[in-house]
Amino acid sequence: MLWLVRSAMVAFYPRTEALPGIADTGIDPFLRQFRSETTFMMWLGVVLAALLFHFTPLFTVFVPLPAFFLPASLRDKHARKIGNTNLYLVKQAMLILKLPAGLCWGRDPEVRKRFAMAAYAPDPDVWRTS
Amino acid sequence: MSSGTGTHVSFRERTETPFEGEVDYVVVGSGAGGAAAASVLVRAGASVALIEAGAWREPEQYPSSAYGGMRDLMDDWGAQIAMGRALWPIVQARTMGGTTVINSAICVRTPADVFDRWEKEFGIGRTGGKGRLADRVWKHQDDLERELSVEEVPPDARGRSNVLAMKGAAAIGYDSHYMKRYVKGCVGSGQCLQGCRKLKKQSTNVVWVPEVLERGGLVLSSAPVSKVLFEGRRAIGVEGRFDHPRTHRAGSVFRVKAKKAVIVAASVTHSAVLLQKSGVKSKSLGRFFRAHPGTGVFGCYDEPVDQNTGATQGWASTAFRNEPGLKLETLHIPLELVASRFAGGGMELMDRLSRYRHIAMWCHSVRAESVGTVRAGFLGKPMVRYGLDAADMLKFREGMYLLAKTHVAAGAKSVLPGISGLPFEMKADEIERIRTGPTDPRAYIAILSHLFGGAVMGASPDTSVTDGSGRVHGYEGLVVADASVIPSVLGVNPQHTIMALARCFAEDLLAS
Ligand SMILES: Cc1cc2nc3c(=O)[nH]c(=O)nc-3n(C[C@H](O)[C@H](O)[C@H](O)COP(=O)(O)OP(=O)(O)OC[C@H]3O[C@@H](n4cnc5c(N)ncnc54)[C@H](O)[C@@H]3O)c2cc1C
Ligand code: SF4
Repeated sequence: MLWLVRSAMVAFYPRTEALPGIADTGIDPFLRQFRSETTFMMWLGVVLAALLFHFTPLFTVFVPLPAFFLPASLRDKHARKIGNTNLYLVKQAMLILKLPAGLCWGRDPEVRKRFAMAAYAPDPDVWRTS
Repeated sequence: MSSGTGTHVSFRERTETPFEGEVDYVVVGSGAGGAAAASVLVRAGASVALIEAGAWREPEQYPSSAYGGMRDLMDDWGAQIAMGRALWPIVQARTMGGTTVINSAICVRTPADVFDRWEKEFGIGRTGGKGRLADRVWKHQDDLERELSVEEVPPDARGRSNVLAMKGAAAIGYDSHYMKRYVKGCVGSGQCLQGCRKLKKQSTNVVWVPEVLERGGLVLSSAPVSKVLFEGRRAIGVEGRFDHPRTHRAGSVFRVKAKKAVIVAASVTHSAVLLQKSGVKSKSLGRFFRAHPGTGVFGCYDEPVDQNTGATQGWASTAFRNEPGLKLETLHIPLELVASRFAGGGMELMDRLSRYRHIAMWCHSVRAESVGTVRAGFLGKPMVRYGLDAADMLKFREGMYLLAKTHVAAGAKSVLPGISGLPFEMKADEIERIRTGPTDPRAYIAILSHLFGGAVMGASPDTSVTDGSGRVHGYEGLVVADASVIPSVLGVNPQHTIMALARCFAEDLLAS
């Protein structure tokens, strides 16, 4: 399922001339970390949202293929259209997909540099035991 | 482990022997209400156990990224949802210090009309034989302001977004101000939502929890209470199992007896559910859930705003508290979260994100009268049912217009309202369209962060769960001391009220 989630996220956050895309920001280790750390329900939501993304191009770009088979320009058009939908549940599903993707992309030092922000210090992931 | 004269116990493996303790008072939850109550009790020389579901992180152990914030500090990754016509997230913390760790520390005194309403509608006026509740709360608020070093956001820490908001409000001609917050010497790092690593914000984990330890108290972290224990109708303690902060595997059992009382302050969503799961019978338990729902409007400026610099929430206006019924504030949201707040996908989304430095987010929180419920749902987790009625949605929409108007008055070239059915970007001369925009809550991306009710106080056991001192009707030694007791919305940020009320309740306990 990881590749399915990954490719949906890459479609949402592609590389542009101005900015790195999510594929440039360590998405693979991020997804492994996220899957192991987040709640089951959250991960399930992300996977279902990725499935929805991949199996709806028929309704957005009118091509009966999953998004991962589409040429890059059509996949981008699909991402744009589904990302702007007013259908509530679809909109919510895409939000669930974009949220963790944003967490990965936006914490990347190179991305932050483009916005004149210092790199984050590592998250310590420790707590007080005494 | 001992610290000062007290003891802190963190996660213990399942194989270890159960932890047993006995104190005068057990306090469940270390947030605004719980820690405030605990501080009064330990200062009076009582023995206290403060039991917190989340881990205890010192400021240098806070995460830096929004990812870390959601993982380490938020309850359920911030993914708890209020189920209604729209699905709006409920944001609360699960960490030592509760939501005071991730909030903006804004301090607003309880308005007089709130007490008038409580007296008229709920019969709450005089409590604990110590005079008018309003006077007692305000007296505590005076003390809290000194104790927690309330200060206005200093000029150097304002950042451009807060300054622009001030300019916009002045240009339109409504009252507004730089925030007063429980912060000592803010340096404007814009990281309040991930916890203040600069040690400036006076959250309860840095002020009162250490005090409980120093005064000989017992502090349990990573210790979610699963049940309040009773002997007949008398609360005699609590039990639960430690929960590993990273893996959430269950650890050993803990059981702490209370010789005098159990004080539940586990937040609006958890207190009512904990009482339900513990078998407390009350017709009103879980009812009268209320909130200040809110959302934001981005303004787009020619010059960089760099909303990540300056106090996270440094400006506000209460000019609209009565009409239409809302508060306006600035809010710096991290880049990571802006990405999911914007509509669109692919190259178009990236193009929108490329403007991050030039956008400022300002938000509203609505003094909503709509009412919902909180009950134990799937796997015993809190399940909130809540939605805004038509009248509240009109306030909600008007608030978005006011935000857009303020941006324009501050010099924004356009605004990004984030309302389905309206354009992604609206020029200054288009913003009137917001006023006729949708009133369907599903058209908006909102959150609930100021919560009230679920175990409300009132004179009558038929319509309330506790009396005006937080004591659960029909039970002995059982008190609720957090936002759950608040029977109405406040129309201002709630923690100052929650802390002062909890202090009154703790005083009443000591006197009883
Ligand atoms: C992002 C954000 C910003 C905010 N900004 C402001 C602001 O600037 N000013 C303001 O006045 N208000 C603000 N608020 C609201 C304010 O922080 C809350 O209203 C207040 O903290 C609620 O206090 P409480 O004691 O009811 O709950 P909390 O502060 O949430 O504390 C409850 C504690 O109980 C613990 N707990 C839960 N279940 C259990 C259990 N079973 N066993 C043991 N422990 C348990 C939780 O982990 C938590 O630590 C903000 C809220 C949010 C989410
Ligand atoms: S803006 Fe930064 S320094 Fe100021 S209180 Fe918030 S986190 Fe602390």
